[in-house]
Amino acid sequence: MADLALTRKLPGERQNLADAAFKLATWFFAVFVLVLLGAVIVALIDGSVEALRRFGPGFVLSEDWNPVKQTFGARAPMVGTLITSAIAMLVGIPISFGIAVFLTQLCPTWARRPLGVGIELLAGIPSIIYGIWGLFVFAPFMQSHIEPFLIDTLGKLPGIGPLFAGPPLGIGMLTAGIILGIMVLPFISSIMRDVFDTVPPMLKESAYGLGCTTWEVMWNVVLPFTRVGVIGGIMLGLGRALGETMAVTFVIGNAHRLSTSLLAPGTTISAALANEFTEAVEDIYQSSLVALGLILFVITLIVLSAAKYMLIRLQSRAGT
Amino acid sequence: MVDSAATQSTGFVPMRTTTSSAAPSALSAAAEGEQVKVQIKDLNFYYDKFHALKTINLSLYDRKVTAFVGPSGCGKSTLLRILNRMYQLYPKQRAVGEILVDGANILAPNQDLNLLRAKIGMVFQKPTPFPMSIYDNIAFGIRLYERLPKAEMDERIESALQRAALWTEVKDKLRQSGLGLSGGQQQRLCIARAIAVKPTILLLDEPCSALDPISTQKIEELITELKTDYTIAIVTHNMQQAARSSDYTAFMYLGELIEFNQTPVIFTRPEKKQTEDYVTGRFG
Amino acid sequence: MAGPSALYQRRRMGNAVLLVFSLGATVFGLFWLAAILGTLLYNGFEAVSLEMFVQTTPPPGSAGGLANAIVGSLIMTFVGVVIGAPIGLLAGTFLAEYGHYSRISPIVRFINDVLLSAPSIIVGLFVYQVMVIHMGHFSAIAGAVALAIIVIPVVVRTTEDMLNLVPNALREAAAALGTPKWKVVVMVSYRAAIQGLVTGVLLAIARISGETAPLLFTALNNQFWSLNMDAPMANLPVVIFQFALSPYEDWQRLAWGGALLITFAILGLNIGARALASWGGTKSGA
Repeated sequence: MADLALTRKLPGERQNLADAAFKLATWFFAVFVLVLLGAVIVALIDGSVEALRRFGPGFVLSEDWNPVKQTFGARAPMVGTLITSAIAMLVGIPISFGIAVFLTQLCPTWARRPLGVGIELLAGIPSIIYGIWGLFVFAPFMQSHIEPFLIDTLGKLPGIGPLFAGPPLGIGMLTAGIILGIMVLPFISSIMRDVFDTVPPMLKESAYGLGCTTWEVMWNVVLPFTRVGVIGGIMLGLGRALGETMAVTFVIGNAHRLSTSLLAPGTTISAALANEFTEAVEDIYQSSLVALGLILFVITLIVLSAAKYMLIRLQSRAGT
Repeated sequence: MVDSAATQSTGFVPMRTTTSSAAPSALSAAAEGEQVKVQIKDLNFYYDKFHALKTINLSLYDRKVTAFVGPSGCGKSTLLRILNRMYQLYPKQRAVGEILVDGANILAPNQDLNLLRAKIGMVFQKPTPFPMSIYDNIAFGIRLYERLPKAEMDERIESALQRAALWTEVKDKLRQSGLGLSGGQQQRLCIARAIAVKPTILLLDEPCSALDPISTQKIEELITELKTDYTIAIVTHNMQQAARSSDYTAFMYLGELIEFNQTPVIFTRPEKKQTEDYVTGRFG
Repeated sequence: MAGPSALYQRRRMGNAVLLVFSLGATVFGLFWLAAILGTLLYNGFEAVSLEMFVQTTPPPGSAGGLANAIVGSLIMTFVGVVIGAPIGLLAGTFLAEYGHYSRISPIVRFINDVLLSAPSIIVGLFVYQVMVIHMGHFSAIAGAVALAIIVIPVVVRTTEDMLNLVPNALREAAAALGTPKWKVVVMVSYRAAIQGLVTGVLLAIARISGETAPLLFTALNNQFWSLNMDAPMANLPVVIFQFALSPYEDWQRLAWGGALLITFAILGLNIGARALASWGGTKSGA
């Protein structure tokens, strides 16, 4: 076909150049994402080298935090991060499960969308709002109503008593943990809702057909089927809770101190960073804070990677 | 309309050939004075390791309609899509052999794909209007290769829509979205879009399978008209459609070309038993 | 028979407990939403006035507004989106249009999702290390870059998801006309997915509008009116942070006002983005 070889108004070559350029641009920025992560890791390591060299691996175990003597240790913030996140999970997981069950199984169809959107809006509220609300509304509420109650009841029990000891300050690890729990509700519940919806209706119907109650269907059929996805969703929520800054900073109390009581003030890595970074003048102080950031990043990286891996596994099983 | 005489096997003695899987000679199938537009020589096609098309030898005659028929999975759509090298959008699919269009091999590595596809138009199973106005849908293909002043563009679009028997229905709503048309209209829009760029060959991949009978009929009439200007290859799983609309029919099965001949011959005096079984509905 | 009946009663009880619990959980969640929004309205309402939008942040003990913070937030959000959205768009385009069979695609997707949920304070720390230290001072541009880094993974994800929804038949139809690949992407795929792509950008904007932590170490804050990208710039989240924790009533009141403003702007964006997405969904059904 002779005129296939003829160049027309826009010769093939110009198009090929544009094609190659565009493809290269998209590839470049895809790789850029990878480079970005690498750069973050490198920058954090670079910034924390001084502290790590000075304090060595003991940095992670030391409870010191003395800007005057310039000795720092990560233990208090790390433990604070883990404990507040643990509380957040204890609060968040069952409630998210309840919300997911309600919205997927029990809720009348007309209400499903608005209620679902309502829960999602919780995710839209910026964390600083949770912070100031926590400081001015929730913490006083905890201080005057909840904490005295806990001290008088759970605080008197053997074993867990010391967890609820101390004066009711309102602020502290427990309050921070609860607020974090409320914050992760929309994330965990929305993933749970999505994975619950992937259960084939026939599977549920065969259980109902045997006379199972809703609870039994959820517990014995839906959850096992979606187990991997649910865990992935939980870990995603955990990743969020670990890194949350502003909500925690306002109500944690900022004390670089470990204490057995949940009602006591403490600190988390992100709260320490938010509060102290701009005032850290000395290099070693700054470097210690960056080292904290590196530790946090590594922890969240592990948790998020595990979550992603699980969610991928669920997707491949469901054939999507 | 399959010849019902063929279905009663009384009085009908088909000639059973015991040839190997070598394809039947396509040249002898032509009627007098027909010119070959597309010649497919020893074509083999692979999806990764799977040998999907086996040594196909076939000719498409100039300004005639050739139908590719056969049961699901026989390779008819695969074959059609090789003709405009659509398979190259996907990796691990390769074609081996020669396809000569007006004498030039379009499977050659230095063949510009975009220019090839501008000359060989394709219409798909489901109507695929672009998310633009009707006018822009048709102008889209033209603008790729030609810079026309508005008056000329308007004219081209009108003539394409006329040819596709859609002009009267849309002439007042050219600026509206193509998605607002009915299924049959959308398919005719796609046909107009394909012919607006002045191809010489049209490939139709089951163009009516998503349409109602009335739209189907309109499109079949259209095909009969279009063949005065275009060489047409149509894949269809509807044998009656093949019998109605085509001049030549190629019957394929499991990646092989079983029989190729003028349509009336295929439907009344097929050479191979398999062909006879298929066109009479005994399998497929 | 007493046996099965007692067991059955227990089962029914357990089920009833679940039902009550899950209803209670939903009410619990929505209650806090209402509580927070209600508190915002209650406390912030008195601060919302013309002055808030017109006057700049005052020194403690005097009256003022949030004008410089509002403008600063708008500027940095805008620049952050202008930097981050195109990067995200192109990377997402790679994943959806070019990278189906590429080895790096699953890696990019994975890393992108990790970045999506990474703590934003780490982003701030990162930009501090690479930009603020080298420049020698805090700056609005550093703040915008930090916001851009948060925007990128959001836009990558939504771009890829939305482009994947465009049916392949449309791409083949364009290719069959002889359209070069880049035009297929830009003039057909993008066009078909435009609503979803815009929604993604809106959601990214909503996300960064409320971010405080990344700005703490980059743009810091500025008491005065400044449009200089090379200097610290006032912004709502950091101002709220500073004012809320202060002991001054005026400042606290302004903090609530700013909080009200941000929250409703973000919720508005969220709801708007959803509305756009569902309007697009019903329209493109052919």
